[in-house]
Amino acid sequence: MTVMNITLPFGVIKDISDYSRFINEILKFDITLNILKFSTGTSGINLLIDIPDDKIKSITESLKKNNIIVNKKGRIIIDTEKCIDCGACISLCPTDALNFDSEKRLKFYYERCIGCLLCLDSCPRYAIEEM
Amino acid sequence: MTKTYNEINQKIKSGEVVVVTAEEMIKIVEEDGIKVAAEDIDVVTTGTFGPMCSSGAFLNFGHSDPPIKFEHLWLNDVKAYHGNAAVDCYIGCTRMSDVRRFEYGGGHVIEDLVSGKSIRLRGNSYTTDCYPLAEIDTEFTLDEINQAILLNPRNAYQRYVCAVNSSDRSLYTYMGKLLPHYGNAHYAGAGCLSPLSNDPDYETIGIGTKIFLGGGSGYIIGEGTQHSPTNQFGTLFVKGDLKQMNSEYLRGVSFEKYGTSLFVGLGIPIPILNEGLAKKTAISDSELLTDIVDYGIPRRDRPKLRQITYEELRNEYIELNGKKVKCSSMSSQYYARKIAETLKKWIQEGKFFLNQPAETLPTDTIFKPMKQILEIKFVKDLKRKAIICYDDCELKTIAKRIINHNMNHIVITDRENTLKGIVTSFDITKAIAEEKTDIKEIITKKVITTSDNDPIDVAARRMKQNYISALPVIDENKKVVGIITSEELI
Repeated sequence: MTVMNITLPFGVIKDISDYSRFINEILKFDITLNILKFSTGTSGINLLIDIPDDKIKSITESLKKNNIIVNKKGRIIIDTEKCIDCGACISLCPTDALNFDSEKRLKFYYERCIGCLLCLDSCPRYAIEEM
Repeated sequence: MTKTYNEINQKIKSGEVVVVTAEEMIKIVEEDGIKVAAEDIDVVTTGTFGPMCSSGAFLNFGHSDPPIKFEHLWLNDVKAYHGNAAVDCYIGCTRMSDVRRFEYGGGHVIEDLVSGKSIRLRGNSYTTDCYPLAEIDTEFTLDEINQAILLNPRNAYQRYVCAVNSSDRSLYTYMGKLLPHYGNAHYAGAGCLSPLSNDPDYETIGIGTKIFLGGGSGYIIGEGTQHSPTNQFGTLFVKGDLKQMNSEYLRGVSFEKYGTSLFVGLGIPIPILNEGLAKKTAISDSELLTDIVDYGIPRRDRPKLRQITYEELRNEYIELNGKKVKCSSMSSQYYARKIAETLKKWIQEGKFFLNQPAETLPTDTIFKPMKQILEIKFVKDLKRKAIICYDDCELKTIAKRIINHNMNHIVITDRENTLKGIVTSFDITKAIAEEKTDIKEIITKKVITTSDNDPIDVAARRMKQNYISALPVIDENKKVVGIITSEELI
């Protein structure tokens, strides 16, 4: 099984029927869907779902078609409004998933994040949220 | 070649002034040389944006009806200092909320105030004939109070150390989260953009220098506390009107298990009055040195591991004892640049003029340690003899030792006196209850220890943090040299 980190952006999911429609999209694949975490973030509803490895590709494609943002491995979210680009989290990340871009602004590379959460309590602005 | 403040200000007025940031100046001097740069460039702007714990604000609320003379007051549940007249107070950024503790503090109150949010004010008084009101609970915004003056006794550290941790557990410090066994490194300071590194002899930076402070303008009003220019740890005492500041450059922060603080944006324009200043403002990260310091040693004088340049620190990884250690900053380079750029723009647009200091700052002061009257006590002063059993003994032997020595903790070693574990009287009781007979089944192998030269308070904190009541004392070779228990600490 693989943990998938997805965001249902505000605007895409307006009410419960949109939400059911999206869940049904996944259930079409005839899988047991574990929702490990459900939370609301600044950009929408964040879900951490557990899916079988062989279905990653097809589920990802289906979600993207429905305007769902798929953050494959990332288990954290950076609230860019709270972040002050200090860099206090960067040295804690063992996979360079947190790093500066060329302008020295903090950038989070979802695909590198292994969800170790070492960074979680390093942020002086509480800008790192666990999914 | 020399220029005067007046000449530069005339150029600002006419729009002819040439301003560059301290980062841009490096290249200009490199390409054109000091002489040309000194002629061409009028002002070099600097900037820094980092946690500055010695920050706070004086506020005046005006009088209530009937009037109150505060004895205690809180702003959003953060206690403010009141030791002045009736309705003045000082809100310090490291004071934590009585309710939210580490999550919210004085720094956050200042940020909220500047961003226009309403602040809850609660206060009480012992009452006097002229101030009869005993309690107040109200709300205010920045616009609704009389004065709000940011007054920071120590800002803009010329440089700061790079912190690492040699101990075996994660440390939560004002230098952020430091992983055990040199797992990471944190530094602070803006390097070549640092204001004081660009005028290290205080030729232009002095009392009355107008600066960028918190997104508005402010002034230097003296040397900062702990000002130590002789070893490149100069600091500044600054003030400014909160009402014209911008919350983008004043951010309340919470360092996990340490406390709250305030990120302050500060920038100083350096007038290029002579060639010497052109040379000094062209200083680069490769010329700025600081020390790598071990925060794993909980003492005032922490061991310095080596010197390092800001250029190396910016490299993401630093080398330490032949190992690559991931390194990052606690202060924002992005915002430091933005501050230097903003200040440059203000001067170019004729919105910001320079002034000559009314007085220069001392260049020879040193930072003295605290005078302590009572001698500090160390583990070696209070430890006692450890009662020891070997790691292959029978439980009965341990039980006998516990009784004979009236000691709850038996230290387990091998024949060479190397620490192997600890067994307590509770472990023995449990062994009897569960019918266990082998020491291996009950021994605690991961033992929290201390050493002879740890101050008693450090040992006490370690016991408290781990919910234990004794620490074996070991030397650098893990040989047992005693034990200290909570009884000795009382």
